[in-house]
Amino acid sequence: MTIEKILDGTRLTVAIAGRLDTTTAPQLEAELKQSYDGTEKLVLDFAALEYLSSAGLRVLLAAQKVMNKQGEMVIRNVNETINEIFEVTGFVDILTIE
Amino acid sequence: MIKISHLKKEYPSATPLRDVNVEIHKGDVISIIGPSGTGKSTLIRCINMLETPTAGEIWVDGECITDKKCNINKIRQKMGMVFQSFNLFNHMNVIENIMAAPVDLLGKSKQEAYDKGIELLRTVGLADKAFNYPDVLSGGQKQRVAIARTLAMEPEIILLDEPTSALDPTMVGEVQAVIKDLAKKGLTLMIVTHEMRFAREIANRVFYMDDGGVYEDGTPEQIFDNPQRERTIRFIKHLKVFEKLITSKDFDFIGFNTELEEFGRRNQVPQKTIYRGGSVFEELVMQCLLPNLEKEFHLNIAFEYAQGTETLSMSLKYDGAHFDVRNTPNIVSLAIAENASESIEYTEMDADGFTNLVSVKIK
Repeated sequence: MTIEKILDGTRLTVAIAGRLDTTTAPQLEAELKQSYDGTEKLVLDFAALEYLSSAGLRVLLAAQKVMNKQGEMVIRNVNETINEIFEVTGFVDILTIE
Repeated sequence: MIKISHLKKEYPSATPLRDVNVEIHKGDVISIIGPSGTGKSTLIRCINMLETPTAGEIWVDGECITDKKCNINKIRQKMGMVFQSFNLFNHMNVIENIMAAPVDLLGKSKQEAYDKGIELLRTVGLADKAFNYPDVLSGGQKQRVAIARTLAMEPEIILLDEPTSALDPTMVGEVQAVIKDLAKKGLTLMIVTHEMRFAREIANRVFYMDDGGVYEDGTPEQIFDNPQRERTIRFIKHLKVFEKLITSKDFDFIGFNTELEEFGRRNQVPQKTIYRGGSVFEELVMQCLLPNLEKEFHLNIAFEYAQGTETLSMSLKYDGAHFDVRNTPNIVSLAIAENASESIEYTEMDADGFTNLVSVKIK
């Protein structure tokens, strides 16, 4: 997994590529924790995300909770396979997917 | 007729036969099948002592041939051997090849050996080649001569070690036809072969060899239509298997995924299918099972891909207390796993030290 961050004022875009799974989810969690300060809009770009597991979902859920308090979070460019995961787990109702 | 007990054959680098126990009756026609390196050829080479067994006993007609005092040459006269590579004498013509042993070893007159030789060449359809030298014959013809030569010694048992595997495909049929004739004559035959249709048609018994011995022994119908044991089923159904034993919660998950993907590529498993397999593995094993297992545990995971039906399945066997993974409180992981599966089944088991079995059919 690779993580790319672009900060534009209070808007942070995080592009995640590869696999977000049991081994890589803690990496994303750590990256996000460092970035919450001052962020009002968090955009997660999943264009290059190939795989998502429940371990990744947990990180997304935690991020959503943080951003609910200080602004908003959206997920962009979700492919069909990843979207299926959001649907079967009910995460479509919790996350904002554009 | 032949009784083999606790036969073991060990080489410095491998032990193809660990413990073979089997009885062969007069008139049996036995096809010996199984993956490469499982001791099929070693077994028949031990039966006529071309290989000396490391341990165990082989009895032929009441005589223990593994006993050092046994006159093996006398026993060998009862047993003919047909090799993959024909092993004809190239400096002798066809009829001389056939006559040599009966004259030298059975003490037959040249006329007698010649008459018998011509008769045998007729039965294998090669009487007109009696005075040709082997190097002008095709592979199929050479093998038929080799069979005639074996028959000239009037053996009671014929051992055939992959008799058609060195042949051009167009010649396999003619040699198989000759072997089928032998089977009808009531000779006892043991044939190592990779040709499954032939193995099935010719035999009244099939030995499936694996795991250091005769893993499953049955009629052709039993072995080919209704195999009972795991490895036989895999072999017969052309199952491709990726198997791992996990004994630590810190096992190499990244390496496992890489190997699983490589397994998928090698066996033409559709990418989406292998993706789902990996997803089910991660959710059920990494998220639901591992946190629940005791400190010391054994978890065997096997992905099986049936190329015939293009279906991927995953089985998990683990020890410790009975735990139906479907009762996990982790409903998110279970939802993902269920979505990627046709079915997830759980059974309590008690075999090889495992107490739980989860069988998953991947979508």
